[in-house]
Amino acid sequence: MTTMNMDQSELNRRDFLAGGSFATVMMLMGGIPLRAAEETKPDTAGGTNYKGEATPVNVGIIGCGLWAREIIRTLALIPHGPVVALADPYPAYLRRAGDLAPNAQRYKTHTELLADPKVQAVIIATPTHQHKDLVIEALKAGKHVYCEAPLAHTVEDARAIARAAKEHPKLNFQAGLQARADLQIANLHKWRIQPAVWGKPLTARQQWNKKQSWRLASPNPEREAEINWRLDKAVSTGLAGEIGVHQLDVTNWFFGSLPTAITGFGSVLQWKDGREVPDTVRVVCEYPGGLTGIFESTIANSFEGELAIFLGSDGAIMLRERKAWLFKEADAPVLGWEVYSKREEFYRESGLTMGAGGTKQTTHTEDRFAPADPKSPLQYSLDAFLINSHNLEAGVKDFTEIYGDDESQLLEYLKDQEKNRQPAAGWKEGLAATVTAIKANQAIVTGRRVELSPSDFEA
Amino acid sequence: MKLNSHNWTLNLAAALALVWAAQGADTVRYTAQPQGSKVTMDGTSTIHDWTVEGKIIGGFFEAAAAWETDKSLKTAMTPPPKAEVTIPIRTLKSGKERMDEIMQEAMKAKENPLIRFKLAEMKIKGDVPASGTPVKFDTKGELTVSGVTKPCDMEVTMDRLEDGKLKFSATKELKMTDFGIAPPNPNIGGVGIKTGDEIIIKFEWVVAAKKS
Repeated sequence: MTTMNMDQSELNRRDFLAGGSFATVMMLMGGIPLRAAEETKPDTAGGTNYKGEATPVNVGIIGCGLWAREIIRTLALIPHGPVVALADPYPAYLRRAGDLAPNAQRYKTHTELLADPKVQAVIIATPTHQHKDLVIEALKAGKHVYCEAPLAHTVEDARAIARAAKEHPKLNFQAGLQARADLQIANLHKWRIQPAVWGKPLTARQQWNKKQSWRLASPNPEREAEINWRLDKAVSTGLAGEIGVHQLDVTNWFFGSLPTAITGFGSVLQWKDGREVPDTVRVVCEYPGGLTGIFESTIANSFEGELAIFLGSDGAIMLRERKAWLFKEADAPVLGWEVYSKREEFYRESGLTMGAGGTKQTTHTEDRFAPADPKSPLQYSLDAFLINSHNLEAGVKDFTEIYGDDESQLLEYLKDQEKNRQPAAGWKEGLAATVTAIKANQAIVTGRRVELSPSDFEA
Repeated sequence: MKLNSHNWTLNLAAALALVWAAQGADTVRYTAQPQGSKVTMDGTSTIHDWTVEGKIIGGFFEAAAAWETDKSLKTAMTPPPKAEVTIPIRTLKSGKERMDEIMQEAMKAKENPLIRFKLAEMKIKGDVPASGTPVKFDTKGELTVSGVTKPCDMEVTMDRLEDGKLKFSATKELKMTDFGIAPPNPNIGGVGIKTGDEIIIKFEWVVAAKKS
């Protein structure tokens, strides 16, 4: 087991939803923000003093690289996610993570961590190609599992992970596709990405651009090879996988379907240091009904950062750093909620301003320059993982205490209770996004159109 | 020998006691079943009405063995039926996690994880249909919520289901404050919300005769 690492200045796609500077610029230019109303915790200043706290779930972190440390910092914001154990064979990483979680037990191996009875749930933040064995071992040890995306570097490994998760329905498995848990994006999907708003879906374009080398400095050649696994074409899923998995997932999600074919292009244009993993890629995914989705990414130029544009026959929705703008076509039907919205100018376009999921009371008083949701996508994602893990565990316990250990009845009950889950990506979404990303990278690397069938996305 | 009226009375009482004991031993115990059970709690607030729902209702119903076979229940009401019902509070879900957390806190679910009902008295109300279903009962018992126990009268309907299962259902209006629960009064999204004191509990509880 080794650790995933990133240079602090080179945070990858996982910071795709962070920050809000561009959104502010767009607002100043007169965009049409569609922002979800924030779900705020109850004010305790009222007549009652209920805090509404979730039950804590003890967390173990496997892999203590830079991203793992970001996870630990985020968990520090969540009262019900105490980090009780850390595992990493690299002493410096273990020490740095330990500084952030001083009460956590430190282990050199994941085996020791999984044997720790205090650990109820694990977060696997190692390099992608190491996920499979760790997930399977963690589930066998009876731990809930949060596995970073992509789930794996091969379709076979991703299927093995999905099957293991499927075979452990009494344990919570979550894929680290943060957008699925982000209230802002989930509300947009629920209330705004529908024919009544944008008409007939036509096409989607996703982009992630950031100038950065992706190569990390290290004290010795052996360590350098280890931490620069993203530049090793034998195990790396490239930009389409390590970055694009999140955006390809959003396209799958918003289209409500999975790609039937993928064509890709990629080259090393900027960072000619001997690497073979392209620094600039473009992918075209074909979906049923003639829909297409484009993903393009480069680490040779930062222009326009990252964004998603969904074109429909009645309007276009641009999603950018957790805000969205709707551009209606002139012949688009009246939606009905325009009365609650502000009309603003955006360059040569005019459109509506409304918080997706906002109430009538709050919409009129919305501060258009208010900062983006202070709760990060990662926090939403981890929060959902902890809550769902506890609720699943509690449901199993309450059911078996009252009705006994009839497995089929229990599973039926758990299936019924899925409606109460916090929004989050499970193994199905994780597998679908990972297969899409791996096949996209395959199309890039081989220069061939890759055809997909529904069975390719099955565990 | 002259019959001593006092001894005669004692002997009769002893004989009756034996009969009662024999009858008591000839009872059937029904236990909670996972399929078909459901409990909801409906309430109000200044914003909108709310509902929580649960699918886990534990406990037992115990009555004379004739309860299974005598659809008229004429021979089944002695000995008096017994019942205890439990509902884990944390299984009651609104679909909104934060609201569930507040509800559990308000009901002191950590200290008192179960809602409990213990039956004290059960009388047939009205006529029993020839089919034996449905049958209405007036019941008296004790309801414990949040560690506070109060008398609880309910009209309960019993339906005989397939395979001999029974479904008991009822609707009961309660006040949170009767059980020491302060109605939550949160401020969500900048809007102050007042929760109404009155709630309505509805349950459908399916039980099956325990096979020995």
